[in-house]
Amino acid sequence: MKNKGIILFLTLLAAAIVVIILLDLRSNRTDLRPDNPYDIGLDQYSQVDSALIGYREVLNLSLNEKDKKGIAFGMNRLWVIGVNFIQAVSTEGAMLLKKELDKTPTSITIFKSDIYISFNDEIRRYAEDGSQLFSWPLQGDSILITGMAANDSILYTADAGKRRVLKFRTDGTLLATFDGKRETGDLHGFIIPSPYFDLAFTPDGELWVVNPGKHALENYTPEGRLRGYWNRTSAGIDGFSGCCGPAQIAVLPDGSFVTAEKGLVRIKVHQPNGDLSTVVAPPSKFPGGTHAPDLAVGDNGVIYALDFDQKIIRVFEKIKP
Amino acid sequence: MIRIIKPLILFLMFLALFESLQAQQQRFPKPEFKTEYQQPTPTAPEPRGLGMEFVDVGLLVLVMSLTAWFAIKKRSRNGILILTVFSAIYFGFHRNGCICSVGSIQNVVLAFADPTYTLSLYALLFFLLPLLFSLFFGRVFCGAACPLGAIQDLLIFKPITIAPWLRKALGVIPYLYLGLAVLYAATGTEFIICRYDPFIGIYRMNGPHLMIFLGIAFLLMGLFIARPYCRFLCPYGALLNITSRFSWKHLSVYPTRCIECKLCTTACPFEAIDFPDSENERPDPRKGSRRFILFFLLIPVMMLIGGWIGSKSHVFLSKANQTVYLAELLISHPELQNDPKNIDVQQFLASGKSLETLSKEAREIRDKFYTGSWILGAFLGLVIGFMAFNQLIYRRKNDYQANRGTCYSCARCLDYCPVE
Amino acid sequence: MNRKNFLTNTGRWVLLGGLMYLTGSIFFKRKVSASGKYVWQIDPFKCTQCGRCATSCVRDLSAVKCVHAYSLCGYCDLCGGYFKPNTLSLNTGAENQLCPTGALKRKYIEEPFFEYTIDEELCNGCGKCVKGCTSFGNGSLHLQIRHNLCQNCNECSIARLCPSDAITRVPVETAYKIKGDFKPAIAKPQ
Repeated sequence: MKNKGIILFLTLLAAAIVVIILLDLRSNRTDLRPDNPYDIGLDQYSQVDSALIGYREVLNLSLNEKDKKGIAFGMNRLWVIGVNFIQAVSTEGAMLLKKELDKTPTSITIFKSDIYISFNDEIRRYAEDGSQLFSWPLQGDSILITGMAANDSILYTADAGKRRVLKFRTDGTLLATFDGKRETGDLHGFIIPSPYFDLAFTPDGELWVVNPGKHALENYTPEGRLRGYWNRTSAGIDGFSGCCGPAQIAVLPDGSFVTAEKGLVRIKVHQPNGDLSTVVAPPSKFPGGTHAPDLAVGDNGVIYALDFDQKIIRVFEKIKP
Repeated sequence: MIRIIKPLILFLMFLALFESLQAQQQRFPKPEFKTEYQQPTPTAPEPRGLGMEFVDVGLLVLVMSLTAWFAIKKRSRNGILILTVFSAIYFGFHRNGCICSVGSIQNVVLAFADPTYTLSLYALLFFLLPLLFSLFFGRVFCGAACPLGAIQDLLIFKPITIAPWLRKALGVIPYLYLGLAVLYAATGTEFIICRYDPFIGIYRMNGPHLMIFLGIAFLLMGLFIARPYCRFLCPYGALLNITSRFSWKHLSVYPTRCIECKLCTTACPFEAIDFPDSENERPDPRKGSRRFILFFLLIPVMMLIGGWIGSKSHVFLSKANQTVYLAELLISHPELQNDPKNIDVQQFLASGKSLETLSKEAREIRDKFYTGSWILGAFLGLVIGFMAFNQLIYRRKNDYQANRGTCYSCARCLDYCPVE
Repeated sequence: MNRKNFLTNTGRWVLLGGLMYLTGSIFFKRKVSASGKYVWQIDPFKCTQCGRCATSCVRDLSAVKCVHAYSLCGYCDLCGGYFKPNTLSLNTGAENQLCPTGALKRKYIEEPFFEYTIDEELCNGCGKCVKGCTSFGNGSLHLQIRHNLCQNCNECSIARLCPSDAITRVPVETAYKIKGDFKPAIAKPQ
């Protein structure tokens, strides 16, 4: 071993190699890995000031069936549609009725004692004992009914596939369709990026349709003319976030709108003019969820939400001040 | 219990539901464009060199055959030098040194351990062919075909000699590395050979900082210690060492007889040429045979001791496995469950798997490590036993000859040997 | 020395036999693919956009790029993947964009639809746009490993760190898992 310098150099190199390997091993430890430098900071939107929350969750109805597709409230009962069934449940969760369906329903609405259920190619009317009363076919392809609202003898259906609202008489005659174009020269009316398109009647008989792409609620005359609208686009609590909002709506007895959004899931109540009234369920109530719950309003303003991610029906009651 | 879990974490349940909704979304019609808009389609660029793998195998066989011919028949260093440069350029820079025979050990081991793992024929051939050639012609793979060896070989500047005791001691490391690599590959933990391959960063001319530093450190070391990775780390070299000892034909320093000029020993930078023993060293034959029997009995004892030490360290070794580490972390630091920044913990919580299931999995893996560490320890005991055995028994050596186990068939000595 | 030769020969045949047995048992009892080529693939349905694709690839600029499944896109004015969550104005200003490298481009088509395309040379695979699109939109943007860039390492260093085990080894015939279209799509090399 002649050259001391070389020996020293080599020893240092060997030590360096050992250090490098140890450093690499250390950086791999699960508790020492770096944070995500590309985090987009969604956390701030899931926190909601508790002063804004006006409802509390009182009950969870789990039901045995897992593949639920929609809910509606009528005749003092909660009606649930699933992949191949329709169920009636009492407000405490006791099962009152269950009937098999031969096709998969897409949406449900109830007016007085008539139950309307839409399928891919037809709409049927059921009686309260679950027997089918009447049905009529839907003409055309790529039709996807995602929301319905009925009033006396008229049924409005929201067709997300063809981006339009179909107006039927309850005997099945198609009376009109409107596509939400504001001016005659407009290229597009309802902007529907994903299969969520809902509508509802307010207690004073006005038809309000969600225009999801514009985060707007639009009021239409029976002839399909736009009477008025409001929109709120915001990731903050006062508006609707994402591409489509709100994905589901329901109407409270005082005319306010209950809205559910997808993506950043939250349920809120908006006043008829669009301002935020109160928050029913903040995003923290939907950990890991991304689907907007289907909504139904019961008597006394109790809100029922069908949570698709956790597969339960959540019941919210207003907090008495 | 209100847990603030961010909506940015997706449940696996979401996956199931998403997939059923996905079908609907795929059928959900896209917007009807009124203008003449053509929707583009996403591209899917092809990987490079489909089918070139078998060209690689062919070239590997060709290079090894030519090395064998140059080393044994033609006895020319120049040919091997050219082949070394070719390997560095083709297998190294062009194919980026991956997949290599050294790493293929892991693939083969994983194929044994995990019945669902599909081994590519290409990897199997890369594992098998150098070993086969080594059984017949010596370590011709190391001589000119291996890209890791090639780059070290080409950068030998002023090789120093290393004391024999140090050389022998460091010679255990390849077996340790081999054992660990097999253990970690068999348990599906990691491919440590690939992770600590120093030269792949150089060959790709790209890589994370630590990988490049490691490469440079090894290359600098290679200037003064000839082939440091090959001699003291390469796990595949450990296998080739064994098979080469039984080779049919091997590089021979002298063609007919040795004149003990010692020019070859100065030429060999790897100290791979054995010295003949002097008259005084030859011991009494009876003592020799007693030593022989003693050490043969000692080997099982060494294996038992080694296995026992191995089993004691199985907990430590198993920590390298992600599942085991995560389970340990969550059990010993439950407060980490509330840390929103730790991606792995949050993802585990979001997956819906319970800590009990994770602990069960971790325990099963640890049991595998227990068996594996016993085998590793016994293997090391065997290796050390054999090395000691080799040192202490007497084998008559009359002249200077290339050590069958460690000679890389680089043919440097052949140019120096004056015998015709 | 005859004994030495004999031992050497026996040893060689034993080792040879052992190797052949090993190879044979792998060949017949385990799955060996003669087509040879296996590549790494990200399953976009498992991906949680943790950002490690951008930081862990052995390449300087990751081989993972964002890919747009146009057939799933809503062409929204307010694109969840393009704009920051509470952006003030819907224009191409850099302060509004999520993409740190400006790789996601926005182009007007007709009122109110915009087309979003990815410039792969700029994309670093960080997944911010994917996170935004999945949370707020249709999830048409997703990350994929581009095989003309991927080194096809024996052990993918991103796969080792992926928290949801979304990266797996698949045969090259089904190299890509692009959303919206599950036919194997091997296009011409770029």
